[in-house]
Amino acid sequence: MDGGRIHRFHVARDVEEALSLLSAYGGKGALLAGGVDLLRGPLARVEGLIDITRMGLSSVAEARGGVTVGATSTLTQILESPAARRYVRGILVEVMRAVAVPPLRNMATLGGALVSAHPWADLPTALVALGAEARWRGEKEGKAPVEDLYRGEFRKTFRTAVLIEVSLPPWDGAFAYEKVGRTRYDIALVNACCGLGIEDGTIRWARVAVGARPDRGERLPEIEAALVGREPGEKLWTEIQELVEARVEVGDDRRAGRAWRRKTAGVLVRRALIRAARGAAA
Amino acid sequence: MAVETRRRSAVGQSVTKVDGPSLVAGKPVFTLDLDLPGALVGKILPSPHAHAEIVRIDTLEAEAVPGVRAILHFGNVPRVPYTTAGQGWPEPSPYDTVLFDHKVRFVGDRVAAVAAETEEAAREALGKIRVEYNVLPAVLSPEEALADGAPTIHDEPDSEGIYDPKHNIAAAVDIPVGDVARGLAEAPVRAEATGEIPYSQHAAIEPHCVLAYFDEAGRLVLRTSTQVPFHVRRIVARVVGLDPARIRVVKPRIGGGFGSKQEILLEPVAALLALRTGRPVRMSYTRQEVFVASRTRHPMRVAVRLGAGNDGVLQAVDMEVLSNTGAYGTHALTVLSNVGSKTLPLYNKARHLRFHGKAVYTNLPVAGAYRGYGATQGYFALEVAMDALAEKLGLDPVELRRRNHIRVGETSPIFEKIGEGREGTAQIIRSCALADCLRIGAERIGWKEKRGRRRENGPWVHGVGMACAMQGSGITGVDMAAATLVMQDDGSFRLLVGATDLGTGSDTILAQIAAEELGVAVDRVLVYSSDTDFTPFDTGAYASSTTYVSGNAVFRAAQDVRGQILEVAGAALGEPPEVLELAGGAVESRRSGRRLTLAEVGHRAMYVTDQKQIAATASFACPESPPPFAAFFCEAAVDRETGVVRVERFVVAADCGTAIHPQGAEGQLEGAVLQGIGHALYEEMLFAPSGRCVNASFFDYKIPSSLDVPQIEAILVPSEEPTGPWGAKSISEIGINGPLPAISNAIYDAVGVRMVRAPFTPERVAAALRMGGGG
Repeated sequence: MDGGRIHRFHVARDVEEALSLLSAYGGKGALLAGGVDLLRGPLARVEGLIDITRMGLSSVAEARGGVTVGATSTLTQILESPAARRYVRGILVEVMRAVAVPPLRNMATLGGALVSAHPWADLPTALVALGAEARWRGEKEGKAPVEDLYRGEFRKTFRTAVLIEVSLPPWDGAFAYEKVGRTRYDIALVNACCGLGIEDGTIRWARVAVGARPDRGERLPEIEAALVGREPGEKLWTEIQELVEARVEVGDDRRAGRAWRRKTAGVLVRRALIRAARGAAA
Repeated sequence: MAVETRRRSAVGQSVTKVDGPSLVAGKPVFTLDLDLPGALVGKILPSPHAHAEIVRIDTLEAEAVPGVRAILHFGNVPRVPYTTAGQGWPEPSPYDTVLFDHKVRFVGDRVAAVAAETEEAAREALGKIRVEYNVLPAVLSPEEALADGAPTIHDEPDSEGIYDPKHNIAAAVDIPVGDVARGLAEAPVRAEATGEIPYSQHAAIEPHCVLAYFDEAGRLVLRTSTQVPFHVRRIVARVVGLDPARIRVVKPRIGGGFGSKQEILLEPVAALLALRTGRPVRMSYTRQEVFVASRTRHPMRVAVRLGAGNDGVLQAVDMEVLSNTGAYGTHALTVLSNVGSKTLPLYNKARHLRFHGKAVYTNLPVAGAYRGYGATQGYFALEVAMDALAEKLGLDPVELRRRNHIRVGETSPIFEKIGEGREGTAQIIRSCALADCLRIGAERIGWKEKRGRRRENGPWVHGVGMACAMQGSGITGVDMAAATLVMQDDGSFRLLVGATDLGTGSDTILAQIAAEELGVAVDRVLVYSSDTDFTPFDTGAYASSTTYVSGNAVFRAAQDVRGQILEVAGAALGEPPEVLELAGGAVESRRSGRRLTLAEVGHRAMYVTDQKQIAATASFACPESPPPFAAFFCEAAVDRETGVVRVERFVVAADCGTAIHPQGAEGQLEGAVLQGIGHALYEEMLFAPSGRCVNASFFDYKIPSSLDVPQIEAILVPSEEPTGPWGAKSISEIGINGPLPAISNAIYDAVGVRMVRAPFTPERVAAALRMGGGG
């Protein structure tokens, strides 16, 4: 880390103060939550750090049948919260456990992960699959599904805004998360988060997202549509696996090649669907 | 020396490490824990090009940066060709390096160095050094290096000892025994394997670092994180142009080396900066610099061809090596030699052998010493080929090893033919418990029940694989260690050793070796190691040498001191030394039962009668290098759909003679096995077409974490090495030789594909599976 130019550290008491400090620095201030990405990133232009972890945004609460997570909640906090454990059969716990290692999870915040939105990250894939909605405050208050944010200029938005919370809607069914990394604490070489709702032996709704392709997690609506109205079973899973292989957009990077990613995406979606179907039927 | 049979009190006990409490308590014991007032920060400007001439270097703007005190580059330092390898004399590595050259040979090569008041100023100055390069075509693989018309990397006229500089060959060997072509042709059963190992990192927790300053007498002190303090002194003196008598090298606690600190890298730069400025200079590599600018394992392709009789007994072995030494040839010849010298004697039945290969220059980072030192690369190919041979013979792989491995009283022509960059030394195996290691290891993993019976669990397929290995204990004709043992007036002891504990626990085991002979508790022996002003000479901590070579020196010194103690006590008691026993901190007469404590002996010698210092200095030069042996067994699971490989269980049964400190020996095995698992599954430095390393950090260069550690069972199978101190041999390197082939063989057992290119990433395994497998 090269933080040679940082000469001020502020602890913002509330969102207004954080915003006014951010605006006063005019691009030379940085919000500090967990600090994981701040430590990794180039800090050459940063002169002031604004700590936003003491603004009361670190709660995990049940809301409208789903769960609402404050932006500065750490992944450990989420993992250990009763609300997350109860949410859609513990899918948040499953996802958080797949992220890095406990010392990093103790630092990293959900807001940080959402805003950094690394293409190889675990959380964007899960947030998109789960239909998460983000609420933020900048000049005005804003609200949008995470999926829509990622399609737009969200990095620009968050240069002058503070993420407040992330809301995850209720789902009548189950989700599962799958990932392949090089080591247990590694980022994903490819990941998948899938959910199913099953009624009377028929799939009523389906959510399928694949990430670290190496691009960021995105839903595959065509695959979801192919699932709805069908009967879960080996035949369907094989069909879907092949469809994912045919349709998923994958690429090469130094961590893995496109051919392997294509095959593995199909495998992971299949595995996630099988587990989700088991959960949804239970 | 005869092996003592009496019950041991210090040796064989897992005593508290002598440096354990201070390390655990976080005391300031490491190189850069010492703050000196007025110390400057030294930093190095790396080359952005893989191969280029420096046309012009302009430092005016950099010198003007406030706080900058000195800038070094090729234009203002002495040009002395040397090798950065910290090896014995005569140095077997080519003199193909100068401190700062007008040519750069890899991305990260040294262009200039700056000393400044602060790190920020030093960095700013580096950014303001204007360098004009004439970029040359680069050589980025050993094949390119050997191609006709390839650019010559070392065209400087003043290099010495390069095998064939024009054709980029740093070193070459060709050692035939018998007629291998005929032997292979006539053998009824043949098998082969070619193993490839990429660039990989030692990943020591502490980066290379040094503090250089002049003491009150104007002598240069180098406090440095090194495995070879005496070689640092010798080489820095020559390169910087100082009288060695004016240099003191101090090695404090070291945060790991694994061979990467058997290199003289930062010391001469820091010394010159201190000399130019008259100020203390601190230097430390960043992790990125450790990756790129320190040293790596030699990437290699090793091809093994085996010919055997129908009984499985080997008749011919051909081993061919292509080693990539990177931009400089440090350890090029010796690592290359070790690929054969540490592997071929293990199966000594073959009459026809040929070991041949080249180490070639490329415009990539510089390879050097790394735990295993070529043997790791050699065993990968050899032991996969043995697995393939067993299959062809329809023989159990354990039985195949049993029919071929060397035994007590036997020898191999290789011992004499291949040494450390020259001829070796004939030797006979005096201790070998490999047969027991094979039996015990196979039982522990459940070999009979599991081998050839792949177990399936969803997409996961389980298989078991095994491998054997040996190493050495020091380098014959090269390694020498000395120890000085001094008795204090209170009856306690000071043990001064040149040996270099780099985190291995050698200070502790040397204290144990002395304490055993002196009949005292280990904490009565204070160890002071590796300070060229105060401790006697030692070639250094490499080649699995410390327990055996330094240990023997300590043992001899302790025998001498023991004799002196008995003499003083005999005079005091009026009895001949022959009837006296030394145990439990006292001398006791078997005849009269009269006792004298060691405190009384010390007091008498120093203050009372015939006053003298009870002390001895002894040396040990390595006449032979008794190999430790090990058998490795691995259970691996392969995800057929994704190609992910999981090591479920790893058993290593090793014969290191007497384990002086069993827990320490097990720790060495466990650590080495884990490092080997890293080689097998994760570790690989990757390069852009420009020659730049693109994953020079632990974010994208993965080493196994605690979460990835499988169940590793290290079993010490005792033997008694008659030439070793208390029967001991080495243990530090051998463990890294097994995982690559054992895991590869387990994958084959599980899914029928031979993984011969490390690491066995999901992508590579999946690709091999899709190619149809079946071997």
